Amino acid sequence: MKDFALLPEALVAAAAVILLIGGRLSWISPGARRSLPTVVALVTLVALGVELWAGATLGTYFGGGLVQDRFALFAKAAALLATTIAFAVVDWTAEDSVTVGLAMPLLATFGVMIAASAGDLVALWAGLELAAAAGVVMVALRRPDLALRLLVTGGVASAMLLTGLAFLYASVGTASLGTMRAVLFSGAPTLALAIPIFLVISGLAVRAALAPFQLASIPASLGASPLGAGLVLGLVAAAAATVAIKLVAALTPIPTVYSTYLEVVAALAMVGGGAAALAAQSPRAKLAYLAAGQIGWVAAGLVTHYRSGLGASLFLLGAFAVAATCGPAVMGRAEGGEAALAGMGALRPARAAGLALAMLSLAGAPPLAGFFGEFAVAASLAQSGHFALLALGILGSVLSVAAVAGPLRVMYIQSPPDEARRGTRLPVVSGLSSFGAVAFCGVIAVYGLLSSPILGLADQGAEALGLR
Amino acid sequence: MIWLSILSASPSPSPAPTVPGAGIFSTSLLLSLTVWVPVVMAIAIASMPNPRGRYDALMKQIAFFTNVGIMFVLGIAYNQFQSFLPTLQYEEKVPWLQAVGATYHLGVDGPGMTMLILSGLIGIVSVLASLGIRERVRSYFCLLLLAQATVNGAIVARDMFILILFWAAAAIPIALLVLGWGGPRRHAATWRLLGYWGLGTAALVVGTMALYAAAGGGTFDMDVLLKATVGSRVQLAVGALMIVAAATRLPLFPLHGWARDVYSEAPIGVAVVVAGSASRLGAYLLLRTLIGAEPAAAHLLAPLLAVLAALTVGYGALVALRALDLRQAAAYLALIPGGVTVLALAALQPLSIAGAVLSMFAGGLAAALIVGVCATLSDRAQSRSLQVLSGLAPRMPILTWLMIIAGLAILGVPLLATFDSNLLTFFGSFKTQPIGAFAVAAGLAVAAVAFATLWRRVLFSAPNPDAPGVSDASLGETWYLGLLAGGLLWVGLFPGGPKLPGTDSPLFDQGLVNVMAAGLSDIASPYVLPTGP
Repeated sequence: MKDFALLPEALVAAAAVILLIGGRLSWISPGARRSLPTVVALVTLVALGVELWAGATLGTYFGGGLVQDRFALFAKAAALLATTIAFAVVDWTAEDSVTVGLAMPLLATFGVMIAASAGDLVALWAGLELAAAAGVVMVALRRPDLALRLLVTGGVASAMLLTGLAFLYASVGTASLGTMRAVLFSGAPTLALAIPIFLVISGLAVRAALAPFQLASIPASLGASPLGAGLVLGLVAAAAATVAIKLVAALTPIPTVYSTYLEVVAALAMVGGGAAALAAQSPRAKLAYLAAGQIGWVAAGLVTHYRSGLGASLFLLGAFAVAATCGPAVMGRAEGGEAALAGMGALRPARAAGLALAMLSLAGAPPLAGFFGEFAVAASLAQSGHFALLALGILGSVLSVAAVAGPLRVMYIQSPPDEARRGTRLPVVSGLSSFGAVAFCGVIAVYGLLSSPILGLADQGAEALGLR
Repeated sequence: MIWLSILSASPSPSPAPTVPGAGIFSTSLLLSLTVWVPVVMAIAIASMPNPRGRYDALMKQIAFFTNVGIMFVLGIAYNQFQSFLPTLQYEEKVPWLQAVGATYHLGVDGPGMTMLILSGLIGIVSVLASLGIRERVRSYFCLLLLAQATVNGAIVARDMFILILFWAAAAIPIALLVLGWGGPRRHAATWRLLGYWGLGTAALVVGTMALYAAAGGGTFDMDVLLKATVGSRVQLAVGALMIVAAATRLPLFPLHGWARDVYSEAPIGVAVVVAGSASRLGAYLLLRTLIGAEPAAAHLLAPLLAVLAALTVGYGALVALRALDLRQAAAYLALIPGGVTVLALAALQPLSIAGAVLSMFAGGLAAALIVGVCATLSDRAQSRSLQVLSGLAPRMPILTWLMIIAGLAILGVPLLATFDSNLLTFFGSFKTQPIGAFAVAAGLAVAAVAFATLWRRVLFSAPNPDAPGVSDASLGETWYLGLLAGGLLWVGLFPGGPKLPGTDSPLFDQGLVNVMAAGLSDIASPYVLPTGP
């Protein structure tokens, strides 16, 4: 069984490489291109199945560089699920390239998987950068200017992250996360540790598009294709959050060096995300800021430096990854104002339901997956006495829920306009996209309904990181 | 005093089955049915094909019969309710989010049963009041059923997690209903509703989390959490937060900012749900989490509650006196029953707490009636301006009678249920909160002046020749308003237990007053458990 544990990574990476080479060398006929999304979605579905079947087996690979544990299982499964549904639900006529559009999310997923099973700092960094690079390529297909902005900003973030990780390695004397944790148990918080961790958290905040560090990610996501936006908002942010969870788990012996930074970052993200979502006019911008606010909740869970908090963050990260990655794909081309969604509830009922659920889940509205995740984080914040952060988080959620009221009204209550006056057309209906939209609704609902066992699995994931 | 003796007398308990809630319904899913059947029916309505509105009428019928079915179930549940047991009944308890200590725990005691009956009745009334909806019927009734489900869920929740879930969820369908089908100022109404209710939800969550942390962070179950021994400072902080949460929902001055716009702009069926049952959750929350659970904080915060009650009643009456819009006047007058309920809670006396529970029921009906009748009258008279409406009594006899009954119900005159609740409230509260009680009584006096002014101007003055044409209530409108008025009259006439007229047979076992006292034995119930012969 251990031999199959890395099979999902192999499947995803191989599919991405084949798509890139095949697309470049024109191996794939136009007729075959039409069925490519279905085939690739099936590949990721198989990878997800293998992950769930073989992923529970513990093991280490490449001299400890990669570790397969419950944390890796959870995070990898969430990324694969999000990618599979996104492939199924997206309107491929709105994408710029089928082969690149399929390959880049696969590479980003591969990056998340590497980060999730990273056993040392190098693998963490490599996984995050791979995911981020895929995001830049997707944005560049449509908006090279925004891609350049994303590249430069991401480069700065990467430099901060790399410098911080290097200093961390120099201070602790090891790159292995497990050994680092053991060393820090006998160490004390010092300025030499606090400075690199400040750099690391700042870099991760930019990568995760935490408000107000969404310097390039959110603008880039607004200009990208629907799948590209989902990649930047969902998978790249999920990769950054995965890295953050693993790093924080290694640093829990000395929480004072990071908890204050994280508190500030989380508070800004939760309130800023909600406020910006309320102020935004475009539905995709609302979605992006809702995602920025929810990733703040993930960061808030890390402040607790308890297993319950990290487990709750991991649970929420799963819900976030699915909703933020698939949300823009479900929405389609609605780049304009809210009017672009008018009457969607009547004309595209499955997509409208999916978009409504994605937005409500990202806002933390009950009884959806985001609500359960945020509540679990809130409970851990209360247990650890972070009531100010809790209150700010709730304020952010209230603002977020208020922000969702407008799109919901437009989708379900406003009558469909004359299509010529809509400004942008609604997503094209196909068998795969309809199935994907229904599956997406089902996943969001089931994630909430089965929150107890899923939260239990996330808790095991946190336990696998050495937390008690 | 005759009424007081009727109310406080301890009637003989009826022969009781050995298992609480046993009888026709032995299922443990009874309360889940009241919550999830509306959700399932809402999903069914949402999934129905409806080409060109062909099945609009069917959707209305589904919503109506869903509510009738729930009311039937509740009627039998009420009949089987063990009025003298201070324990939870129809309890359901299933572990849920074990990682954070949340359980799917439902149950009702006397106040819960009373609130459920209120919610069931308001559910039927709201559908009847919504029969005139012509646009986007599917969405409307789907959201209306979801709103009713969330209210029922908040009533039966015995786990703070479940309570928060339904409490927060209630805002979403109601806000969408106001936003989609409301009047010209619906946007302002929606944002105010979301803002104030969001603030209340935030206060409830923070308060709950503080209690959870202080109690050791093991569970959100009310049986444990609300009985945990915590310090007086924590009690005070939690109590203050619960008051904020309740004040935004009930609403109480100065957190009433949403009420005017929502009551005056929402479609009639939605305004009835909000005024009748959703807003009563505020008082119910105070009863559960402050009065019944935090004795130290309750005693310290009782004067604050009394002040809020007096300010709410006085403010509502005074502003209604000066209002120029009929629906806005009704909105302010609908604040008054909530103020009376809170005065009853502030008194912390057995008699007044029983009055508070009855006041939640009767006040809910009265608030729904005044909001509903004024909205219907405005629709029928094609104007809501008090400068236009005048002399309508001869042309609107049914609505005139109903408006008078609504006013009398708000004021609490004899023969109406609010009289009983006010009587219990004032007899209980004059003892411990005399200033607050006098202030509330003075507020009611001002409200009487406001009603007299309103009636004289709208109903009995000279007709305005320039006003648009008017017509009296339709059959559906008469029915929904008549049900509210009938409920007030019935409980007002038979406060110790409604009986079939002319017989000794109880239609509902033991009666409302006994049922509402169950579960409050520690602090409130004047009754004792029956002992064997």
